[in-house]
Amino acid sequence: MASNIEVEPGATKESVLIPSECLENFDHMSSSLEEIKSENNSSVGSTYEESNFVNSNTDNFEDAIDKEENGSTPEYDLGNSTEWTSKNKHIFVLSSAGKPIYSRHGNEDKLAWLFGVMQALVSNIQSSDDTLKSIHAGDTLFVFMNKKPLILVAVSKTGECVNQLTLQLNYVFNQITSMLTLTRLNKIYEQRQNYDLRRLLAGGERLIDHLLDFSEKEPAFFLGAVQCLPLASSVRDSISSAIIGACHKIKNLVFAILLAKNRLITLVRMKKYYLHPSDLHLIFNLVQSSESLKYSQHHWTPFCLPRFDASGFLYAHVSYLADDCQACLLLLTVERDVCDVLSEAKQKIVEKLRRNNCLEPINESIATPEETAVNAGFAEIRHYLYKCKSTAQFYQPSLAPPYSKEKMRLIEIYKRSNQQLHNTARPLKLIFERSANEAIFSWDTTAFELYVVFEPLIDIACAIDFVTKLLNWVKKREDKLFHLNAPTF
Amino acid sequence: MASRKKILLKVVILGESSVGKTSLMNQYVNRKFSNQYKATIGADFLTKEVTIDDRTVTMQIWDTAGQERFQSLGVAFYRGADCCVLVFDVTAPSTFKSLDSWRDEFLIQASPRDPENFPFVLLGNKDDLEPRAISAKRAQQWCQNKNNMPYFETSAKSGSNVEQAFLAIAKNALAQQNSTVDLYNEFPDQIKLTNTQKPSGSGDSCSC
Repeated sequence: MASNIEVEPGATKESVLIPSECLENFDHMSSSLEEIKSENNSSVGSTYEESNFVNSNTDNFEDAIDKEENGSTPEYDLGNSTEWTSKNKHIFVLSSAGKPIYSRHGNEDKLAWLFGVMQALVSNIQSSDDTLKSIHAGDTLFVFMNKKPLILVAVSKTGECVNQLTLQLNYVFNQITSMLTLTRLNKIYEQRQNYDLRRLLAGGERLIDHLLDFSEKEPAFFLGAVQCLPLASSVRDSISSAIIGACHKIKNLVFAILLAKNRLITLVRMKKYYLHPSDLHLIFNLVQSSESLKYSQHHWTPFCLPRFDASGFLYAHVSYLADDCQACLLLLTVERDVCDVLSEAKQKIVEKLRRNNCLEPINESIATPEETAVNAGFAEIRHYLYKCKSTAQFYQPSLAPPYSKEKMRLIEIYKRSNQQLHNTARPLKLIFERSANEAIFSWDTTAFELYVVFEPLIDIACAIDFVTKLLNWVKKREDKLFHLNAPTF
Repeated sequence: MASRKKILLKVVILGESSVGKTSLMNQYVNRKFSNQYKATIGADFLTKEVTIDDRTVTMQIWDTAGQERFQSLGVAFYRGADCCVLVFDVTAPSTFKSLDSWRDEFLIQASPRDPENFPFVLLGNKDDLEPRAISAKRAQQWCQNKNNMPYFETSAKSGSNVEQAFLAIAKNALAQQNSTVDLYNEFPDQIKLTNTQKPSGSGDSCSC
């Protein structure tokens, strides 16, 4: 297959989002707010810590838990413990002092002893100037992330690799940062190492719970990309210009984001400032996990976007467009007291969209599921993911049998392929893999990533032919499927 | 605040090896005692819920190893403790003499914000055994010089005074926690832009 691809659907000169490599190091946090402050363009570098792997064997996790339980006492109550131990993934967050902050399953108070063990493991390795990254024990993988002042731990039997679990832990860390800002998080522990962070996160566990579920179900996370709501480009442009018209005079408004159904409709940004997909994922998560937003006319909340600027809050005006249009608008500013101004702007935007008949196409697109691959004319293709790297956007068709009721199995297939392509020790460009259930074609080029799931009996030549046709099909519809303009205030 | 916040206290138990730290903890948490001596490796962790003034408090107890070879772990274990329990054996004078060094070491390693008022509790264990080497008076004197550290004579074997001692430990740690103001209000949320000073006092929620 030719390595020079002429077709690069979804690519554009200027991207609305910062392009991202999947599984990249998410440590990078910039200081955009500082920039806005000083109107300077100096960029702040990131630090990447190199650390060694520590691999060792431990007793089986379950055994350890069982021992503790049988060892004795009702105090070691893990809730319904067989249920607890049978979970295939646990996520824990603790302070450097070993105090529990979050456990995905079970009551973290009851698990306080376990958090102590985790802290001991991390510190023990640390005391020899090393970093504990992972422990591999049979089918159980323990991944540790020591991100001062917190320690995050994943214990997984899902088959995900260290990088994927680290990515998920990073999202959890960023979610916590989004509620507190990194500055405050650091200050708290500088002042009081024994601080019980649950005081400040009260109510925020819900966001973390949702983020974890969300990041396991959605390809957006491992792809490091967002999906757009399909709209004619003229409609999308008209929506963007309605937003610009109502907002361009508002000082310090950094981003305006319109989204629906986990899909981006448009993103208008201040010149010079970009949004990273991982920040946008946190915004999607906020909107998705806050049902109450639907019932309030608008909502005003401080929200830190860790990749944009981890040091301070942006303030988000969040509202659904109208009763008859369930798209959610977020206006993000650095000013903490301009809620009124933004409410007015929102009204103007809605009026303008109504006048220009933009609400119907949005509603229509929300109501219409994407075509399945088969309906689009690809008889042998069951499903696919196409990610355009330069714009950090992806497209996927609707689920079709046999995955309609097995979405997680499909996601696992994709995660595994994604992991194979991006294996740090042995990255691959092209994989064709056939199993009893399906054939998977994964392709990583400089321009895009493509994962196609075929009927199991398809032959290679035929698969390649389909892939070419598929790329052309996406290319033809790129105006509609992707957000190709990068509007600014 | 109307809703009761969850409270978790990190309690570190220190003292020479074989003074009965693990036994005390076992008696307290599991109501069990064994005469067999098994040295703790590194640290053991236990959780115990107590009710203090109608509030449920979870104690995360760090039972550390007394042996010298584990002392390098100190920094990590002591970090962020809410209370430190010092234990000695009333029949073994050397375990009493080393209390100063345990306390000093803890304060250096944990470097709490207010070392003068950091809550310590002293337990003289094995008071069921004879002959006694350290009198209650001597221990109390030592405590007086240490900011009136509470002192309890306990027996991990019979369980005498163990419950009371741990309750005092929890209360002391809790008092310390309550005395500190909520940090949240100490840091302004606002990002100050150059040339645009805004009036202060407005909250995060919108009244419009």
